[in-house]
Amino acid sequence: MVRTDHVPQRLRIALGSGVILPESTEVRAATLAPPVPRLAVESLYMSFANNRVLRDVAIDVWPGEIHGLVGQNGSGKSTLAKVLTGLYTPDAGTRIAVDGGELQLPVRPQEARDRGVAVVHQSLGLFDHQSVLENMRVGRLRGSRFLRRIDWSREREAATAVFERLGRHVPLNAPVGTLREEDRATVAIARALQDAHAGTGLIIFDESTRSLGRRSLEHFFEILGEIVSTGTSVLLITHRLEEVVDAADRVTVLRDGRVVESGREMAGMNEADLTAMMLGRNLIDLEHRGAATIPANSTPVGVAGLTGLGVSEVSLEVSPGEVLGLTGLAGSGYDDVPYLLSGVTHADAGTLTLLGATISVPALSPASAMEAGIALVPEGREHAGLAMSLSLAENATFPQTTRSARSLFPIDRKRERRIVSEWIERLDVRPRERKASIRTFSGGNQQKVLLAKWLANAPSLLVLHEPTQAVDVGARHTLVAAIRKAAADGCAVIVAGSDENELALLCDRLLVFEEGSVRAELRGDLSPDTIVEAIYSNGSRSRLRGPRSEVHTEKKENN
Amino acid sequence: MTDTVNARGATDSDLYTGAVGATDAVAKRSGGSFGRFAARFAVIGVWLLMIILFGLLEPSTFLTVGAFRTIFGSQQALVFLSAALLCTVIVGEFVDLSVASNFGLSAILVTVLTVTYHWNVWAAAIAAIIASVLVGAVNGLLVVKLGVNTIVVTLGMGTFLLGITLFVSNLMPVSGLPPYFAQIALLNVGGLPISFFLGVVLMLGFAYILTFTPLGRNMRFVGENREVSRLAGVRVTRLRLGAFIVAGLIAGIGGVFAAAATGGFDPAVSQSYLLPVFAATFLGTAILEPGRFNPLGTLIAVYFLATGVLGLQLLGATSWVSSVFYGGVLVIAVTISTVLHAKSR
Repeated sequence: MVRTDHVPQRLRIALGSGVILPESTEVRAATLAPPVPRLAVESLYMSFANNRVLRDVAIDVWPGEIHGLVGQNGSGKSTLAKVLTGLYTPDAGTRIAVDGGELQLPVRPQEARDRGVAVVHQSLGLFDHQSVLENMRVGRLRGSRFLRRIDWSREREAATAVFERLGRHVPLNAPVGTLREEDRATVAIARALQDAHAGTGLIIFDESTRSLGRRSLEHFFEILGEIVSTGTSVLLITHRLEEVVDAADRVTVLRDGRVVESGREMAGMNEADLTAMMLGRNLIDLEHRGAATIPANSTPVGVAGLTGLGVSEVSLEVSPGEVLGLTGLAGSGYDDVPYLLSGVTHADAGTLTLLGATISVPALSPASAMEAGIALVPEGREHAGLAMSLSLAENATFPQTTRSARSLFPIDRKRERRIVSEWIERLDVRPRERKASIRTFSGGNQQKVLLAKWLANAPSLLVLHEPTQAVDVGARHTLVAAIRKAAADGCAVIVAGSDENELALLCDRLLVFEEGSVRAELRGDLSPDTIVEAIYSNGSRSRLRGPRSEVHTEKKENN
Repeated sequence: MTDTVNARGATDSDLYTGAVGATDAVAKRSGGSFGRFAARFAVIGVWLLMIILFGLLEPSTFLTVGAFRTIFGSQQALVFLSAALLCTVIVGEFVDLSVASNFGLSAILVTVLTVTYHWNVWAAAIAAIIASVLVGAVNGLLVVKLGVNTIVVTLGMGTFLLGITLFVSNLMPVSGLPPYFAQIALLNVGGLPISFFLGVVLMLGFAYILTFTPLGRNMRFVGENREVSRLAGVRVTRLRLGAFIVAGLIAGIGGVFAAAATGGFDPAVSQSYLLPVFAATFLGTAILEPGRFNPLGTLIAVYFLATGVLGLQLLGATSWVSSVFYGGVLVIAVTISTVLHAKSR
């Protein structure tokens, strides 16, 4: 396996062109000279109306590398991804080339795919009503020789093979809409991976790892490592800086629609360096925070014998002022608790003691849960959190009026404006445009509105599921601060999540689930490492991708 | 502890979170305000141009009180039917194809019960409206409770009801409602029949509910995203079911007024309303609130269409022109509105 494009330039000059080189295992470690890039973007300008959102953006993705693309929400990252996938037409003068051959603009997905570019979108791009198998093979189905019938057993084999490579089991016949977020992401990733032929091609991942649990994530990067070692390239657009630090070979950083770092080597960089580049300054350390103040003589919120979905007989207590985390492996049931407690999914049994009253959980409906003072911030702001084409103000104040007894009397506009202004201010939602439809906001700002929507309802028990999923560091900081503030103001908070960094920032106490019940409780100083250790009691938190040099150092560089 | 929190709160405001977004929006706003204005009022502008054009071409017939009365006094059926369609479309039930037949059912029942079976005309009217409400309830139960596809249910129901009305009327137009009953629709108020004003009040009331009340906001949210609405405590099933029932009620009332206005009803006529209703409702999404179904836009659309058809007829076109106009305008207007909306985004 010899790829001359990976040979250091010095060497190539010394040897002359066309020389066959001995096989080298150090290819990846060597200082690379610019070869013909797999993907080259040059002088990319992009405007909406008369407003430039991308200015002179350039990216080179080399063969056989993982290239990270980071930037805050609103930095132009998603816009760039949409240009690359042909959703947006860039301004004239932009050049996009794959393997040296220029693409027609706007990018036509079919042409891009023929040239070996596969994309996994943030929204995953799955058909909810179709089965996993159909989703996997759509566009690749082949008819049999005479009757042009689809040979399902062959398709099934192809799909099974990809899942085996991924090391995940997903039922092929299940409609994708019935799967959990993590499995949905797996299907989308598998669909892109199946086309990756050794040595060619480029896969663009646009925030597609956001719902993967730790184990799947490690496994995912293991496979990515294998794929790029054959010469396939990966462009990784992500919010999880850890992924870039651990796995990327080089990184490009966007800020305010401009490239501030182009193809910087990742060797020796850590998350703080990246954050500084993204923000243009250092972020104040959030990890040092005071312990929760639990008001004296307050009665804790108690859950007893909760059973339903993947949980059985779970009991827990959380005091006003405290943030209780729930975590575990995918499928362990921790992420079912929020939906059971808020009446969104029907529970089989269980009681909830809140403000001195005992409520039967199976009798809860979303409406009665709200009346009892429970608020749920669900995962998936696009499908369960916000109505995307309605305005910021309408979304933020929606729970205030849904149960109004005076449903035919006018809504109090002044009060509504006051609430919206207050929460826009408190959560620093930008831009401050109450009437703009929520679709036009960046992901981080949407998530702030989703949180504000429920905080404005002044709950006594706030239940959240993945509250900082797919938001940038700045927005995460604001969200965490707002949730802690709600707790400090006397709200009992339960957070179900799989992101150990988020949990470490948020929680005072952590319950680790296994097979539907609580297996362990963590108190005191929670660090991402201790959390991961507790979730995977038999494992450790390994680097997302093995070291890129030959020296085997199983050491963590961060956290 | 409060100090810590405050300190944290203070750092928040220094944080940089998407200021690019902020400047973007400002730029967008200054560049897009004309586009937004154009998207909202383009159709109204075309309406005015159309009136000027017909006025220049046919000053003797088009610019008369008679033409004005024809345009504003003849569209009540369309107004009621579009209101009925809006009920279900706004809560996210795509196209109720049975509204026109349900309207016809009510119109034929009130006539047949009065003329053939000698019921009291008021009792007949109430019975006809109840029948239409029941039809709406059956649609709602099938679609909402049992989850059957809306188009299939309402297409089937529409065809079924059409057959029933033809059977009830023995395939013939029926007439003979008492003249005093006609007054509920035709009473002259300032030169226009009272039913015109009832239609306007209906649409204004509908617009009020949608814009200002919690009920209206719940309807918008359910239409936009059922899961978000359910999680916020809206009784989604009840609201959707209610929308079908109210749609039946409005169609039924519209049918009674239509029968009253003409003293009877021709069962074959109801189907001819179907396309104009859709044309008006969808054209309404291009007026005032681009991209959203809205009652006032729909009301304007009804009279826009009536103006165009009458003007063309005065120019010598015969009855084929209404189909050409309704169909053509629908496609063109919605296309323009979509393009303007996309540009102003």
